Amino acid sequence: MSATTIPATPRRRRGLGHWLDHEQALGYLLVAPVVVLLLGLVAYPFFVAIGYALTDRTLADPGEFVWFDNFIDLFDNQIYRQTLRNTFVFTAGSVTMRLVFGVGLALLLNERLPMRRFVRSAVLLPWIVPTVLGTMAWLWLFNPNFSVINWALVHSGLAKEGPNWLTDPDLALFCVTLVNAWRGTPFMAITVLAGLQAIPIELYDASAIDGAGKLQRFRFVTLPLLMPVLLTALVLSIIWTFSDFGIVYGLTKGGPMNATHVLATLSYQQGLAAGNIGEGAAISLTMLPVLLILIIWQLRRIRRSTVI
Amino acid sequence: MIQNISRRSLLAATAAVPLATPAIAQNALKGTKLTILVGQFYVPENNAQLDKLAVDVAKDTGMEIRVERLAGDELGVKTAAVIATGRGADLSIGVEFDTYLYASKLADVTDLAETVGKQYGGWLDVAKQACMVGGRWKSLCIGQAPAAWNYRVDQFAAAGYQKFPDTFDELLKAAKALHAKGTPIGMTLGHASGDARSTNYPVLWAFGGKEFEKDGKTVALNSPQTLQAVEWYKEIYQYFVQGTTAWLDPDNNQAFLSGKCSATVNVNTIYLASRAAAPTNPAMKNIMENMDHGNWPRGPAGRFASYNINTWLPFASSTNRAGQLHFLKAWFDQGFLPNWTKTGQSYFIPTFAGFDNLDVWPDDPKLKIFRELNKLNRLEGYAGPPTPAAAEAVSKYILVDMFAKACTGQLKPKEAVEWATKEYEQIAKKRRA
Repeated sequence: MSATTIPATPRRRRGLGHWLDHEQALGYLLVAPVVVLLLGLVAYPFFVAIGYALTDRTLADPGEFVWFDNFIDLFDNQIYRQTLRNTFVFTAGSVTMRLVFGVGLALLLNERLPMRRFVRSAVLLPWIVPTVLGTMAWLWLFNPNFSVINWALVHSGLAKEGPNWLTDPDLALFCVTLVNAWRGTPFMAITVLAGLQAIPIELYDASAIDGAGKLQRFRFVTLPLLMPVLLTALVLSIIWTFSDFGIVYGLTKGGPMNATHVLATLSYQQGLAAGNIGEGAAISLTMLPVLLILIIWQLRRIRRSTVI
Repeated sequence: MIQNISRRSLLAATAAVPLATPAIAQNALKGTKLTILVGQFYVPENNAQLDKLAVDVAKDTGMEIRVERLAGDELGVKTAAVIATGRGADLSIGVEFDTYLYASKLADVTDLAETVGKQYGGWLDVAKQACMVGGRWKSLCIGQAPAAWNYRVDQFAAAGYQKFPDTFDELLKAAKALHAKGTPIGMTLGHASGDARSTNYPVLWAFGGKEFEKDGKTVALNSPQTLQAVEWYKEIYQYFVQGTTAWLDPDNNQAFLSGKCSATVNVNTIYLASRAAAPTNPAMKNIMENMDHGNWPRGPAGRFASYNINTWLPFASSTNRAGQLHFLKAWFDQGFLPNWTKTGQSYFIPTFAGFDNLDVWPDDPKLKIFRELNKLNRLEGYAGPPTPAAAEAVSKYILVDMFAKACTGQLKPKEAVEWATKEYEQIAKKRRA
């Protein structure tokens, strides 16, 4: 009888290769860099800001914990209340203009235009040029002494003198809103254009055979199929506009008489210019409820649309 | 009090005064690093002189010096970041109330300040107010930029005024006459970080108004004097060139240089710009020849001015304290500062009593008045010191908006004063807590 030797089962090495064989572990590993980045660049500053907002911290003094005093004081302050109202008017006005001009521009660019490629690229210019550069150009257009618009109005006999674009409080708020819309319209137009081009041409053909006119085709084919893209662009526009800083700061610094202050510029003014970092953080955080609702809503939509 | 000393006696006296800071062995600085944050001085040669000084000091000591030049408001933001984090720079240029805002994060430079003060015949009071907190020097005053009334001599003459008005009443009458001639004046009522201060605070003070009591904590704005100032402003506003409530810092310069405005409050940059362009631009030549500078008129309470001040802020977080002091010593050295001042054409004037007698003043007769204006400055927060509360009121443009709200009819004068007072009280309460 011969003895047989059963070879021992080789022990599996439990090194990196072993872990990489596990789908779950590999998943965590691949996600880790993004998580670290998000924690470091988003979550940490966010929680620091919450911490600051609950203190009377200044740039030179760590301050004391004051619970919600900063927020209570804000709502008792006329400049803050005015700023809050401005921010909503600014956002609503700008997003409405972006929507109207953006969709209109997209429909136009979707047609067979001469030099279509050039026109499509040129339309992007306001979105591409640095905010400061665009703002400087508008500053000249609104300048009471050198405004080309006013010059044209006066010399064409349409007006005795041009409007006080940035002097009149209501007109100044309209101007900063218009410039923000001018800057954001290309994004809306290009996004909507992409959505338009994704709509199968057969649907238009079928609806045309069914006797649908241009308006009906837009109402019953284009708009429903465009809606997901449109909503995404809309929500992003609201988020960006609500927290915009550069255009207002460049054009008016919140003036005249705080008529154009938005939350971002007031937060900068209080937090950095006046060194009152606790109050500055509190002003910024009052943007949070609106932005949070929009972001949650948007994320839910994205999740729903990706579930097969 | 300003001592009357001659340049010769000053130099003779200072030659014997060694700088009282600890003698720094130059070898000790070899290999160390010094980062300095600066802005843009209007006169380009002044920037070049600062850069050259840094290069010379670096060569002498073996210290590696980096001058970081930032545009506009960026300097304030970067300075705030260094204060908050304790990293990023050793020295920075600040404005008049930064010393109060950041006092606990600034190094004590009392010894050097006293030595430098002696060297130039003593610091002006305004420098002490801007740089001393709790009896200690926490910054060193670089200088102040006197703002004068820039006015068109020809247009004032055409309206019946052979010289710039000497009282607020006369200024009001002149504004009316100039408006009638189609050559209106303009005062900055917008959120301009420099001009809004230098234009509006003197009006309040001239009528006897004040923001705070001497303690710097009790708000004193709501007074008959403030109301009088607002009412005067409301009256003169109707004769202004259009757009002044939206004016940012460059706008009054542009309005004046384009011939649309016959007088405005500004530093000497309008004149310097027209003078520089005059050889090739007839319109600028015309403005240069027909403009001059006038002092602030006297109000019922006197004649006052508010100038932007620049200070050297030595960060306490700096790991190169010796390097910091060495550079500051070099800046205030007689071989550098007087020459730097002369080059600047009175755009920035160091705040020393002895400078009155030095050869630092421009030869151009139209810039001569700045020598007198240099003695006339008051800081925001008056009658208190330039506290963080006063700084917050400045950064929120409360006083400017008080005038603007009344001028434009958004609020009645009394309501505008009450609105501003409430804002001041909220700031003061917060800063006291």
